[in-house]
Amino acid sequence: MTSSDWLDIVGWTDSLTSWSMDNVHDLMPSEDIDLQVTIPSTWAWPDPFTVGPIFNLQDGFAGIQPALESFMHAMMMCTVVFGMMMTTMLVIPYIERKFIGRLMDRLGATTTLRSMWVGESGVTAGEWWNKLPFGVGGPIGWVIGVLNKTWGNSHELETVSRVNNRSYHGYWFLLPGFFQAFADFFKFATKEHIVPKDADKVVFEVAPVIILATTIMVFAFVPFGPHIYAANPELSLLFMMAIFGVAPLGVFFAGWASNNKYTLIGGMRSAAQLTAYEIPLLITVLGVAVLSGSFNIIEIVDFQIGQDEGNVWNIFLMPLGALLFLVTMIAEVERIPFDMPEAEAELVEGWWTEYGGIRWGLMFAAEYMRSYAACILFALFFLGGWEAPFQHTLADLPWVGSIVEFGLSLIPGVGWVLLKAWALFAVFVWIRASLHRVRTDQILEFGWRYLLPLSLLNLVFAIAIRLLFWDGGPWNLLLPIAITAISGGIFVILAIDEDKDALEIQRRPYSTQAVVKASPGSHRD
Amino acid sequence: MGKIISESVQKEAAEVIVNSISSLEGVEAEVVERSSGTNPRNVIVANPSPDSWRALAEMLYSDHAIDYCSMITGIHWPERDDDRKWEVVYHLLRTGVRDPPSEDGVVQPIIVNPSTVRGFGTPVEVEVHVHLPDSRTPSIDSVQDIWVGADWNEKETWDLVGIDFDGHKGMRRVLLPHETPRGYHPLQKQHNLRYHGFEEMYDDSQGFMRKPDDVGKIK
Amino acid sequence: MAEMWISMGPQHPMTHGLWTLKVKVDGETVVDTEPDLGYIHRGVEKICESRDFTQITTYCDRLCYASANTWSHAYIYAAEDLLEVEVPERAEYIRLIAVEIQRIASHLMWLGAYGPDIGNLSIMVWCLREREMMMDLLQELGGSRMHYNFPRVGGVKRDLPYGFAQRARAKLKLFLNRIQEYEALYDESTIFLVRSQGVGYAKPEEMVNHGVSGPNLRAGGVNYDIRWAHPYSVYSELDWAPPVERSSIKGADCYDRYRVRVEEMRVSASLALQALDKIPGGADTHYEPEDPMILAKAPSRAPEGTSGAHHFEDSRGESMFYIAGGGEGRGKHPYRVSIRSPIFITIPFAAKCMIGYKVADIPAIMGSFDPCIGETDR
Repeated sequence: MTSSDWLDIVGWTDSLTSWSMDNVHDLMPSEDIDLQVTIPSTWAWPDPFTVGPIFNLQDGFAGIQPALESFMHAMMMCTVVFGMMMTTMLVIPYIERKFIGRLMDRLGATTTLRSMWVGESGVTAGEWWNKLPFGVGGPIGWVIGVLNKTWGNSHELETVSRVNNRSYHGYWFLLPGFFQAFADFFKFATKEHIVPKDADKVVFEVAPVIILATTIMVFAFVPFGPHIYAANPELSLLFMMAIFGVAPLGVFFAGWASNNKYTLIGGMRSAAQLTAYEIPLLITVLGVAVLSGSFNIIEIVDFQIGQDEGNVWNIFLMPLGALLFLVTMIAEVERIPFDMPEAEAELVEGWWTEYGGIRWGLMFAAEYMRSYAACILFALFFLGGWEAPFQHTLADLPWVGSIVEFGLSLIPGVGWVLLKAWALFAVFVWIRASLHRVRTDQILEFGWRYLLPLSLLNLVFAIAIRLLFWDGGPWNLLLPIAITAISGGIFVILAIDEDKDALEIQRRPYSTQAVVKASPGSHRD
Repeated sequence: MGKIISESVQKEAAEVIVNSISSLEGVEAEVVERSSGTNPRNVIVANPSPDSWRALAEMLYSDHAIDYCSMITGIHWPERDDDRKWEVVYHLLRTGVRDPPSEDGVVQPIIVNPSTVRGFGTPVEVEVHVHLPDSRTPSIDSVQDIWVGADWNEKETWDLVGIDFDGHKGMRRVLLPHETPRGYHPLQKQHNLRYHGFEEMYDDSQGFMRKPDDVGKIK
Repeated sequence: MAEMWISMGPQHPMTHGLWTLKVKVDGETVVDTEPDLGYIHRGVEKICESRDFTQITTYCDRLCYASANTWSHAYIYAAEDLLEVEVPERAEYIRLIAVEIQRIASHLMWLGAYGPDIGNLSIMVWCLREREMMMDLLQELGGSRMHYNFPRVGGVKRDLPYGFAQRARAKLKLFLNRIQEYEALYDESTIFLVRSQGVGYAKPEEMVNHGVSGPNLRAGGVNYDIRWAHPYSVYSELDWAPPVERSSIKGADCYDRYRVRVEEMRVSASLALQALDKIPGGADTHYEPEDPMILAKAPSRAPEGTSGAHHFEDSRGESMFYIAGGGEGRGKHPYRVSIRSPIFITIPFAAKCMIGYKVADIPAIMGSFDPCIGETDR
């Protein structure tokens, strides 16, 4: 059973193209146009013969109509999907900026703006408005008084003292910074295109094209909703992972063609890292495909949603797989903790140091596009795609259920996909703000020695579950509950701090205490 | 209450060293009490002749465990007698630091209790003044192989003051640019800064504010 | 891949200052290094030969701008040795408070810069936020946020402001709680431990022979500190001990140097709090500038033949000033001022420590030695 909702863009586009082409067909003249020519007999040939075509425009058009319709349909869907991707992607840098700002406690534009009327600890910035000429200060002072009453701080609260500024500023926090992405993009578009003197010009220009093209092509196969996709071949998963994996080639070209030792090192590191993490990624995705029984992404999602198919989100059946997917995807999109190829501290910008202007801007956007693709794919593979949480369970409730079902049916599936993807991106940002950068050889060791065997284990596990516990209908609910509980238990056990005494006498693996502790002040133990 | 090295212990250790190095030929040494601010310190001040510097350095290192070369200063005294035109001042310390021992693969840090330090591990301060005779290229024996900390100090002294070090490997300019002309050593007294004298010291480079009485005056 | 020389710097986000580190790499492994200093050589030693003793203090602030108070105090002690001045006790306490708060601020700057070297961006903002607290305190004392010109020959410029003790206590107590957050972000992160342990080994005896001192040395498991070995100021009156780290068998690695500095921040905070309690005259009394309680009369001339020297425990190691008297103005200017910068000597040693590790370890190792190029190039 394929899931569906009212936002059937594929269907609408399809009917729109077929309706318009049918109209064109009907408008075509239906008479045969006889363009035949009879060549009379000459001394060369005794009998006259006719040559030439007989056009029937309508039939001819009917011949090319399917191809034309599918071409138009593809064009329209590509535009819709691309536009939807770019528009919804605006949320991504916004989440990144705001969430990182909150995590890092940065006092940015918001506080600066607000300090114009609030000041610190109740003392405003010197009643600056009274110094303005021509008495303009009066009305400004009144406005500021009003602002202070509604959105200021009372003197007792100390929420805006210089150091304790951990307070949530309220909704003022959200607005500034929204247009930063646009401003950045326009700035990049106006910068000069500089090519290093001895760079390999052809490869230098081709590399960003490869990176960008493959990244955007990934979105051709990603369904945003049950009926919003640009292409849906039977093996869409394979196609998509194949295209996703071409970008490392572009990265390596970029690093090598710039004729710069730094970028060369960055390109090498990147090639090594991305190759190393492709393999566990592909094996994990293979596990998802095995569990869901298909290589088609829409069918994978339908399997998770469908009442008579799986009816369990894959994350509860393979939490290990979800974790592996998360980690390998973070490595694939080169975010901290895996951003060694573009590590600022050593390589300035790594493999894209020599690119400026729109080429850099687009590659930077491509990095965010890849993160976005990773988030959407996680939502599709593991979080049930366009299903609301507990959708059918809620719909089965006695009389609240029908209200809930009606309400949920109003929200198009694409909304759920986007919400899940954005929430997952917030997790990406959280990881970025908290963790350090892993060194390249440690990244590679981690990928080959830990992730690869784990992903193989995950695949074996998926095969075992599918063969042993699946009988063609929905998963037995005990199974995901058991798997989730066991995985959660293992995670908790691994995350608990190790035995402190063992650490004291061990040969310094990870933790040391200063021998002489100072006081006062609480120490962490 | 706070624990610091006891002053008498340091003075004793200083006197032991002074007695020992005074026996070297050409070396005069004494213990000088200095006070900076509130605490008095006893410093060993030694004055070897240029030829006996190397022997003194080796003796300090091997017999008295002076293990830390703090600073090497070169001074140009154009107004002194011919045999004291250049001076090199070495500041050395004995830190008493040893590598901490390890038991069962775990290192046991060495926590020295300052009030109970005695004898050979007592931190002492040594100040060595070597006067060099006048020359266009004064030079003295290098101690780069005894204390590696002297390495860049000697490079800096040659770079800025012009005193060469015999036996120093890899002498080069460290603070001035690499391609500075040979023979240019800015801390020699014949080089003057632009505002070195009174007349140009303040914002009056052409002397409009000067009065006849101010000629030759230093403030 | 063949061996090649990479030049890190002079424009490079890693270098914590303006210098070049040329690295010879074989693939990802560092085979040889060559540091190149002198980009901001401003000729401070030469300039000081034509300045009064009071005027030199402002230059010494600007030697290491991240740790200005420690440098001006290092100079002042040497000038007091030269001019043979006895400093009132209250002034010594005030100086101690200023120096220790400055040490905290310097270490916070280092910690905040060390995070981005290793990849963590959040810690930078958090540490600078706390450093703002310290800079506010120092601004109350000295008048400006970075270059304070605080000590005078014979005492200090002015007394603790009204309410300083109360604000300082509140801020230092808040700071002591906040240190736990930094430790959470560093010590409890496996990635940081994996990046910084086992990297950049250095053994104490080798370090001492190379001229390295201070927190870098104490990371090796020995508690040598100039404040007790060649005592100055009133450290003898307070209860403290320099933090020492239990290093590994092969020596001190980056993790040890990091932990020593975090503990040093705690020790400095505790020293400042104790000094506020014990200061003669009480922390809440305020003497006018040039009151003999905080400033003793000092001669302004040093005849030829005199000299003064002082070893000082700077945030980065042992700094030292040697001043020879008898300069211009019949001794009003020094004849020669010679400045010992700990980082000038540590950088070649750190460059040697890097050999054998990966390119990615270069910022980790270099950052852990806490370079500040202002004092290096003078």
